[in-house]
Amino acid sequence: MADFLAFLEELRELIPNFDELLTHLKRPLPTYFRINTLKTSIKRAKETLRSEGVEFSPTKIPEILKIERFDAQRPLLSYYLGYIYPQALSSALPVLALSPSENEKVLDLCAAPGGKTTFISQLMNDKGLVVANDRKKGRITSLLSNVKRLGITNTVVTIGRGEHLDLPYRFHKVLVDAPCSGQGKYRFDERHGTIKYMKRGKTNLSAIQKALIKKGFDLLLPGGTLVYSTCTLDPEENEGVVQHLIEKRRARVMDFSVPIEGCPGITEFKGKRYDERIRFCKRFYPHKIDSVGFFIAKIVKE
Amino acid sequence: MPRLLRNEERELIHSFLDWRFGIKREHFTEYDIYAFSRQAFLFRTQREDFILPRGHFLRCGLPFMRNVAGYLKPTTYFIQRFGDLAHKNIITLGKEELIELCEKGELALDKNSKDIEGPGYVITKLDEHVLGVNLLIENRLLCRLPKALKEAIKRLKKSQ
Repeated sequence: MADFLAFLEELRELIPNFDELLTHLKRPLPTYFRINTLKTSIKRAKETLRSEGVEFSPTKIPEILKIERFDAQRPLLSYYLGYIYPQALSSALPVLALSPSENEKVLDLCAAPGGKTTFISQLMNDKGLVVANDRKKGRITSLLSNVKRLGITNTVVTIGRGEHLDLPYRFHKVLVDAPCSGQGKYRFDERHGTIKYMKRGKTNLSAIQKALIKKGFDLLLPGGTLVYSTCTLDPEENEGVVQHLIEKRRARVMDFSVPIEGCPGITEFKGKRYDERIRFCKRFYPHKIDSVGFFIAKIVKE
Repeated sequence: MPRLLRNEERELIHSFLDWRFGIKREHFTEYDIYAFSRQAFLFRTQREDFILPRGHFLRCGLPFMRNVAGYLKPTTYFIQRFGDLAHKNIITLGKEELIELCEKGELALDKNSKDIEGPGYVITKLDEHVLGVNLLIENRLLCRLPKALKEAIKRLKKSQ
């Protein structure tokens, strides 16, 4: 816990209302459901959820509901019928930034367990092509299960290390939702003096992230769009990775808008200066959005 | 690797869906059907030059149809998505009946619906919700819903 607090202190000047963040992280993560409009309408899903005793409120994203109260022990038919997908509000934002259209070819390089993949298919009205890849067998089982539970027909699921993925075509759009340290999810457990949802291990994440973003970029068609996202706050895993791509490829960071307001990307951290355009990236802090913290960059292949 | 179904194999599936449920083949003009791992998969039709990625391939599309003891059986996931297109061989159950079906594995039916055309798979609904297919034999409905869905329905009892 002390390590994370020390890390947060380094970001004190960069995070708006920093003390509010510290208070916010003592609260549990809120639950959100995304409505799968491939199987039902928003109106019908809401009626079904109400009939199942779920209380919810709307969010700025019409398909996503904030769950105010429900009995977690009670099975929801809405879930088994594929009407809903439990998904953090912020986790939908990279997909909205990607803005996939019908009949495009889209690659989700690190797809499991499938929240973003299935939202991509939903926004494409289940047309075009989505290739959803992940490297972990265990996680890919949930990806396969979610794709079929949500009734999706336009998706090919592949297994392999994203950074070595060899595909016979290039894509209009690529999502690289990279494996990360997950700091955006961390919550203080004051009773035990620990941090909930903390990941263990000493993997060199930024090296993996740099390899993934380059591979994703190389798989784009000329003029294609890549969205890079993580659920972490660490600039080395975020702006640092985008900076690496800019230095290695003809990539242009683009401004973008999503229904929820974010803070600009950091252009200097611990003596490292990043490209000016990196301010177009967006940081979504947990206390500002009442969800998991996220980083999103939108990049175009020149 | 999956194999694209031949026209006559595809025709067999569409004839079955039309005959049994009244689901017309016209609804599937923008889909291909692949055979893979003893199942048929419904996959959105791609451009002519499309090829499946060989090296890393795991699955494409939605599990669509299986061959069970020599008979075609539509998957739960296909029926949940496309079952609203059907207009015959549909049974709507009440919550109590549905729980009994899942708990006992079968349900005696005293319904003589004009929409049921003899034994075979019937689409099962709860209110307006399409749940999947079950097997109807001599006024007995045999549960064929997936285990997870069945367990969820059984637990609805506790929350009544």
